[in-house]
Amino acid sequence: MSVPRLIGLGWWLQMKMRSRSAFDGALSIIYPMFFATSVFFIYRQGASSSALVAAAVGASVMGVWSAVATTAATSLQGERRQGTLELLVASPTPLPLIVVPITLSMAAIGLYSLVATLLWGRFAFGIKVSLLHPLAFAVACVVTALSVSVLGFVLAVTAVRYRSAWALGTALELPIWLICGFLVPLSILPHWVRPLSWLIPTTWGVSAVKRAALGGMPWRDIAICLVVAAVYAAIGTLLAGRLVDSARTNATLSLI
Amino acid sequence: MRTSARVFFLGGLMSYRALFTWLSPWILIPTFMVGPIFQILFFAYVGRSAGVGNDSFFLIGNAVQYAAIPCLFAMGNSIGGERYEHTLGLILVSPARRVPLFLGRALPVIVNGFVVSLFALTVGALVLGVSLPLSVLPLLVIVLAVSAFACTGLGLVTAGIALRVRETAVVSNVIFGLLLIFCGVNAPLSSLPRWMAVVANWLPLTHGIAAARKIAAGATFTDVGRTVAVEAGVGIMYLIIGLVLLRIFEVESRRHATLELG
Amino acid sequence: MPVIEVENLQRRYRARTGIRRRAAPEVEAVRGINFEVERGELFGLLGPNGAGKTTTIKMLITLLLPSGGSARILGYDLVRDAQEIRKRVGYVFGGDRGLYERLSALDNLRYFSELYSVPAREQKKRIAELIELVGLTGREGERVEGYSRGMRQRLHIARGLLHRPEVLFLDEPSIGIDPVGARELRLTVARLVEQGTTVLLTTHYMFEADELCNRIAVIADGRIVAQGTPSELKKGVVSGRVVEIEVFGDAEASLKGLRALSGVISVSVEERGQAQLVVVRVDVGAEVTSAILTHLGGLRLGRVATREPTLEDAYVELVSGA
Repeated sequence: MSVPRLIGLGWWLQMKMRSRSAFDGALSIIYPMFFATSVFFIYRQGASSSALVAAAVGASVMGVWSAVATTAATSLQGERRQGTLELLVASPTPLPLIVVPITLSMAAIGLYSLVATLLWGRFAFGIKVSLLHPLAFAVACVVTALSVSVLGFVLAVTAVRYRSAWALGTALELPIWLICGFLVPLSILPHWVRPLSWLIPTTWGVSAVKRAALGGMPWRDIAICLVVAAVYAAIGTLLAGRLVDSARTNATLSLI
Repeated sequence: MRTSARVFFLGGLMSYRALFTWLSPWILIPTFMVGPIFQILFFAYVGRSAGVGNDSFFLIGNAVQYAAIPCLFAMGNSIGGERYEHTLGLILVSPARRVPLFLGRALPVIVNGFVVSLFALTVGALVLGVSLPLSVLPLLVIVLAVSAFACTGLGLVTAGIALRVRETAVVSNVIFGLLLIFCGVNAPLSSLPRWMAVVANWLPLTHGIAAARKIAAGATFTDVGRTVAVEAGVGIMYLIIGLVLLRIFEVESRRHATLELG
Repeated sequence: MPVIEVENLQRRYRARTGIRRRAAPEVEAVRGINFEVERGELFGLLGPNGAGKTTTIKMLITLLLPSGGSARILGYDLVRDAQEIRKRVGYVFGGDRGLYERLSALDNLRYFSELYSVPAREQKKRIAELIELVGLTGREGERVEGYSRGMRQRLHIARGLLHRPEVLFLDEPSIGIDPVGARELRLTVARLVEQGTTVLLTTHYMFEADELCNRIAVIADGRIVAQGTPSELKKGVVSGRVVEIEVFGDAEASLKGLRALSGVISVSVEERGQAQLVVVRVDVGAEVTSAILTHLGGLRLGRVATREPTLEDAYVELVSGA
C-alpha cells in the first residue's frame, strides 16, 4: 500500500465531493467571513489601525479552523448515514489513514477561506496587509492548516465510536477562536486559560501567521506548532485503534 | 379555528419529542450550553481587545440574537426536516391547515431558543462581571419574545423558499450571517455604512437589540415602547409575505415536483 | 481445511431506549451457532428478517466483535487476526447505501481499490474488467446519486471483487431488485463460484437459496435450526403430503384440534386476502383429509388441494418452530 498515494487520492476525491455541494463547499468558505466582517466592523471603531490590520490577519485564519471544526466529526456521521463507514472499517487500511485525507481536505478549503477573507478585508474595508515575509507567511499558513487538521483528526476519530461526537466538534468552533489567540491576545484572558492555549497546536500556528504577516520571525512558533501537532497525531492514531475496537464491540459503526 | 389550535399544540409537542428522542446530553450540552455562551464571550473579548464598546453591549446583542435565530430556522427546518424524513408529502396531502401545522412544529424550537438565550445571558453576565439587576428581566423577556416573533416571521419567508429550493441549510446559514452583520449584534448601526443601517431597519432583531440594550441600561417600557412596536411590526410584515410566498410555492411545488428529496 | 469455521458464535447487545437509560433489556441476536464452509462452496444462510443473518455476517467480516464463541476464516482467528481477514474477504450488501453518492462509479472503485492495496498498475485494468463484468460499461462516469437500485447493487459487487477476495460475503444481495436483475446477479455469483471463490450468501428468499447454494443453514431467532444441502432439507419434508384448505372465517380456534389429529405433522395458517389458507402436513399413508374437513366443519370452506411438500414448507416449519 502506498501511503502517499492513498492520502493523495483520498484528498482529491474529498475535494471533488465537497466542491459538488453548496453546503460543504461554498458555505464553508463564506460562513466564517460573516464573523470576520463583524470583527472588522468592531475594530474599525477603534483608534489603532495596526490593531485593525492584525485583526484582519487573525480573522482570516479563523476560517481555517471553521472549515474543519464543523465538518470533521460530521463528516464521519455523514459516512455513517451513507453506509460507507462500515465499508471503510472493514477494509484493511487503518482508520487514521482514511481520516487524514478528510481533515486535510477541509483544512485546504480553510486556506481558500483565508485568502478570501484577506481579499475581502482589502477590497471591502481597505485593510492593507503588507506581507513583509510572504514565504514565511505561506509556510505559517500551511502549518496552521496542518495543526487544525490534526485537531479535526482527533475529533473525527472520536466520531467513529461516539455517534454524538459531531455536536462537540461544532460547539468547539468559537471556543478555539477565543483561546488560541486569533484575535484576542492571550494576555487578556484569565490566567488559567493560558496553559490550555499553549497545549493546542493552533495557538502556535496562529502566532506564527501573525508574526510573519506583521514583520516578525515565525520559525520558533512554527517548530513548536509542528511538535505539538505531532503529539496530537500520535494520540489520535493510538486512540483510533482502541475506538474502532470499541465501536465494533458496541456496534456503533452503523446508524442502528 | 379550534382544530387549528389543536394542530398547533399537539403537532408541536409530537415533533419536540421526536426531536429529542435522538438527542443525548452529549448533543444537548455542547449545542445549547457551550455554543451560545462562547459566542457571547468571544465577541466580548474581541471588544475588550479592540478597546471598543463594553461587555454589556456584546452580552445583550448576542443573547438577543441567540433567542431569535432558532426561530428563524425553526420553520425552515420543520419543512426541510419533513422532507428529509420523506414525510413532507404525507403531511401536505393531509387536510390540516398549513400555518398552524408548521407553526406548531416550530413552537418547541422557539421556546427552546428562548430558554437557551436566558441561560446564556445569565452565565455570560456572571463570567464577564456584568451586573444585570433582576428588575430588567421581565422587560427583557418581553423584548426577547417580540424579537423571536419577528424572526419567526422572517423564518416563514425562508420556509416558503425552502419549499422551492433544496439547499435550505445554506440559505438559513447565509441569512444568519447577514443578520449577524446588519442588525447591530456586535457593532452599533452608527458604525455601519449608511446603506447598511437603512437595510437593517427593515430586518428583525435590529430594533429588538436596540431596545434590549436600553433596558439593560435602565430604560423603562415607555422609553422603548415605540422601538419594540416597530420590531413587532417588522415581524408582522414578514409573516404576511411569508404566508403569501408559502401559498405560491406550495402550488408551484406540486407542479414542479420539488417536494420530495430524492 | 474449511475456509470458514464458526464455533458457538454469539452476539448480544443492549437495546437503545432513548435518553433516560433505564435498565435496557439485553437482546441475544446470535445464540451460539456452528457451521463450516469448504473452499469453493456456495453456502447459504437462510432465515426470516431479524433472525441474526446480518449480525452473523458482520461478525465474520470483522465489523462486529462477537460476545462469545469463535470463528476462523482461512485459518485466521476472527478477533486476533482481523487485519489478515480483511485483506482476503469481500463484502457486498443489498440496498441503496454504501456508496459515495457525489462521486462516479469509477471514482468509487478507484478509492476502494486504493483502500484494498490493489497494485497501482493493475488498478485501471481490474476496474475496467469489473465494470464490464457487472454490466455498467458506459455509465461508470456518472455520479452514483443517479443510479437505480439495480445499478448500485452491481457496483457493490464490482467493489467487493476489486482485490480478488478468496471469500465473498453477500448480505441479501437481491433485495429490492427486479426479477431480471436478480437473475443476472445469481448468474454472476454462480460464475464466481465456478472460478474458485468461496461465497457465503444470506437471504430470506427461499427459492434463491434452493437454486444457488450447495449447502444451506436455516437460521431463526439467532439459532441454526437445520443444515444441509437443499435436497437433504427437502428430504425432511418430502415424505407425506400437504393438504391446503381455503377457509373463510377464523380458523385459529380449530388449529389445536387439528394438530392433535393422528397423522398430522404440522399445521400453519396463511392469510390470503379475504380467506385464510390452512396448510396441513400429513404423514405418509395417513388418510386424514376427511377428519380435517370434519374438524373445520363449522367454517365456510373454499378450495381443498393436496400436493407434494416443497422446500418452502420445510422452511416455514423450521422457522416457526424455533
